[in-house]
Amino acid sequence: MAKAHKITGVVLQGSYRENARIILPQKVEEVYTWEPFIRDAARREELHNMRISIKRLRYTMEIFQVAYRSPKMPAKTAATTNDKRFNEFLGVIVDLQEILGDVHDCDVVLEVLTDYGMQAEQGGVAPGIAKHIAQTQETRNADYKTFLEKWEHLSAIDFKQKLLSFLAS
Amino acid sequence: MTTEPKIREISPDETLEVCARQIIVSYFHQMMSYKEGAKDGSDIEFVHQMRVTSRRLRAAMDNFADCFPEKSFKKHYKKIKLITQTMGAVRDLDVLIVRFEKELGALPEIEQADIRKLIEHLQQEREDARKPMLMLFVELEETDFEKKFLTFFQGY
Repeated sequence: MAKAHKITGVVLQGSYRENARIILPQKVEEVYTWEPFIRDAARREELHNMRISIKRLRYTMEIFQVAYRSPKMPAKTAATTNDKRFNEFLGVIVDLQEILGDVHDCDVVLEVLTDYGMQAEQGGVAPGIAKHIAQTQETRNADYKTFLEKWEHLSAIDFKQKLLSFLAS
Repeated sequence: MTTEPKIREISPDETLEVCARQIIVSYFHQMMSYKEGAKDGSDIEFVHQMRVTSRRLRAAMDNFADCFPEKSFKKHYKKIKLITQTMGAVRDLDVLIVRFEKELGALPEIEQADIRKLIEHLQQEREDARKPMLMLFVELEETDFEKKFLTFFQGY
């Protein structure tokens, strides 16, 4: 698993609100460093690394959500404006994390079944295991396709720029 | 059991350093609250929640690293990373066991036998994966890790 990119430029005595706008764009950029690899379904490691970067972005957004509420508006009003938009962006990130999680789960199951099948049976892989391998591969293909469709849709609507603009606001 | 971050009371006009301490300490308490359940092992949710919270804690620490003296920070960070990894080994097997157990009912009898053998194999692996986790818990207690971590991050 790739390490988190080092965060730079934080202002220790600056406000939490100010630093949210320094840190979060860096987390978005970390996610996009994996983009060149994701159109190849066989790049398991890179897909996994993108999932981890997305998870880091999600957790960081949750940590900084409070920094995107308008200071001049009462809490109840703010919840219907900025919070709503924030939650929409966060929802997209969670959705991507989940579908990449499904792809990764299939990759892990395939690895376990293949290793186990090779260890356990000298006369060939047991029928129950072989069938499971085939089914899991099908599920993996379908999940990967779903992920890629979602990603391409987000690219088409310029999701990255919209997210960065919102986070900088 | 919940993984909802308990950081709602953070004031965004406070300095980063003050908020960083509050958040790290809050996640740490939350993570450690699952330790006894994880040790017991009868409910797999405790291992899951402890691992998830350790990841949230690490994400926070990644963001706030510059707020703390580097050497001590790295030492504490490495320990949290070790917690995530050790819990992860158990959790991955829990997920697989639950997945295969759920699928059993829908399979013909002959295939069920193959998957049952696989589940037994994974259960043995899970027992093996729990040993390093339990050893780590003992080490954390013997080295007074919790107190040292909190003293460092509470700072005052």
